[in-house]
Amino acid sequence: MALLELNEVTKRFGGLTAVDRCSFTVEAGTITGLIGPNGAGKTTVFNLISGLLKPDVGKILFAGEEVNGKPPHLITRKGIARTFQIAREFEEMTVLENVITHSPTRGLPDLLKRSVLKEEREKAIALLEFVGIAHLAYEEARKLSYGQKKLLELACALMADPKLILLDEPAGGVNPRLLERIVEHIETLHRQGTTFLIIEHKMDLVMGLCHPVIVMAYGKVLAKGSPEEIQEDPRVLDAYLGAA
Amino acid sequence: MPENPSRDEIVKARKEVYLGSVVAPRVESRKLFLFSLLCALALFPLLQVASGRFNYWLHMLLFTFLNVTMAASWNIIGGYAGYISLGHNVFSGIGGYVAGALLIFYGLSPFLTAPLAGVVACLFGLLFGLITLRTRGSAFIIATIALVLLTKLGLDNWELLGGTNGVSLPLLPLPARFVKLPFYYGMLLTAVGAVYLSYRIRHSKFGLGLRAIAQDETKAEVAGIPTSLYKILAFAISGFFPGMAGALWAYYLTYLRPTIYFAILGAAEIVLMVLLGGRGTVAGPVLGAVLLVAMNEFFVARFGSTELNIAGTGLLMLIILIFFPEGIVGTLRDRKKLPRLLDWG
Ligand SMILES: Nc1ncnc2c1ncn2[C@@H]1O[C@H](COP(=O)(O)OP(=O)(O)O)[C@@H](O)[C@H]1O
Ligand SMILES: [Mg+2]
Repeated sequence: MALLELNEVTKRFGGLTAVDRCSFTVEAGTITGLIGPNGAGKTTVFNLISGLLKPDVGKILFAGEEVNGKPPHLITRKGIARTFQIAREFEEMTVLENVITHSPTRGLPDLLKRSVLKEEREKAIALLEFVGIAHLAYEEARKLSYGQKKLLELACALMADPKLILLDEPAGGVNPRLLERIVEHIETLHRQGTTFLIIEHKMDLVMGLCHPVIVMAYGKVLAKGSPEEIQEDPRVLDAYLGAA
Repeated sequence: MPENPSRDEIVKARKEVYLGSVVAPRVESRKLFLFSLLCALALFPLLQVASGRFNYWLHMLLFTFLNVTMAASWNIIGGYAGYISLGHNVFSGIGGYVAGALLIFYGLSPFLTAPLAGVVACLFGLLFGLITLRTRGSAFIIATIALVLLTKLGLDNWELLGGTNGVSLPLLPLPARFVKLPFYYGMLLTAVGAVYLSYRIRHSKFGLGLRAIAQDETKAEVAGIPTSLYKILAFAISGFFPGMAGALWAYYLTYLRPTIYFAILGAAEIVLMVLLGGRGTVAGPVLGAVLLVAMNEFFVARFGSTELNIAGTGLLMLIILIFFPEGIVGTLRDRKKLPRLLDWG
């Protein structure tokens, strides 16, 4: 059974069909790439999976369970974490508080517990060390550079030990040195058993990191295969040339 | 900042963690200050008992406690969660009418029923929250204005309790010298309760979630926070102490009438107090309430109860907000100049 399965999912915005009978699966233990020209509907797919949007038609299954129509916080609790194409943070909180806001301890019985529990603090600091911004733990998040904000999002996504992480253009606006680090982190986490679905524009990155790769255009899935297969697929070349 | 933290920086960060989690805070001037303040307020009525000449001051303090209660409670939904309510006087209105009705029909003292009045206000908030807070954004503000109008309409037409004209409540059978004292202590307790609740929430998981909602609701939801539940709870909880205060207030005034809760600008004044002191801070609403009551009183004493006093208060507020755009406590904290005495979180 695939970890994630989209089954004939459609999402319309007024007259525009942003995602059009889109079906694909993400197998557990893979780093799956999701590519396609601008406006292909990739981010919308993420919004559908994470519950920010509801599909008009179709089903989304996570670990065999139907999750479409569930509110985002429940989907997060089931083990899906995501980052945003444009990094978002709680600007007036500290970097540490940002990470801890993503802690799974927040059910009704936990509500009056201290905002930052000791074990959460330790875990959050360890994650911040992992992505290399632990020295900024007590700074307000708005003071971070854009690249650091991307790293913060990654740390946040890891706080709840997700099974599946959706990364929306992790390389966007990030300098090459930082990018190398992000790639290393993804590979480390992958070895530890985390599954990734990654939207990315930088082809060399996708070809080096992802397997398999899914190609979208006009809301539809065009092709799915190994990076080599994708690169040689004429339909894929068409889609990119057509959009260029 | 370098992308790769140096060894020293990591050590520093680790140290901060260590200090933050292990070392107990020293006994602080802040706690001493708050404790002395409470003692002074608790002992103040002795002056009245001794001389009988402090009724005016008792009244002013009691009125300040009422406002502190309203501002600190409003701050839970309006400050932490960032959802502006223009209907918080409804909670006091409901509390007042519940306790008033129990007094008139069953002879139960509002001093006993005030907590119940608070609970009813809470439940009312829960119901209203369920209807309005499942969606996001500014529709909520408008809904709270509608709530004020509807509640007033309802009370205006509650003929059993006098409708628009209201109804008088039996006096507390105490000599004039002592009659204000129970109200004073009741309202003081309410205010302390409201501030303590707001403090506890500010430092809790719940408070962290509410702050996340205020800053980026979508991100908060994706972080796993049940944002609707949090908002509805925050709104309901923020009605408890206003409900209690409303119960005491009607009994204190010795009559029940819609206008004591729904004076023009009543709800907006609560918002002003919080903005003045600092939205989303713990001490801000307290400071704002004290300042606004003091300013009002000063200008009324100067110019009488005319438009001039409103203009004066407004002008002074404007000046303060020009220099302290985030409210006094908020702005001082941003500039790292907040005196420890006012740093309650
Ligand atoms: N919330 C929305 N409302 C209206 N149109 C949208 C919305 N989100 C995305 N779209 C449109 O849907 C199409 C797909 O967008 P998107 O999923 O962001 O593409 P991608 O991430 O592949 O670049 C675009 O034409 C975009 O303008
Ligand atoms: Mg996109």
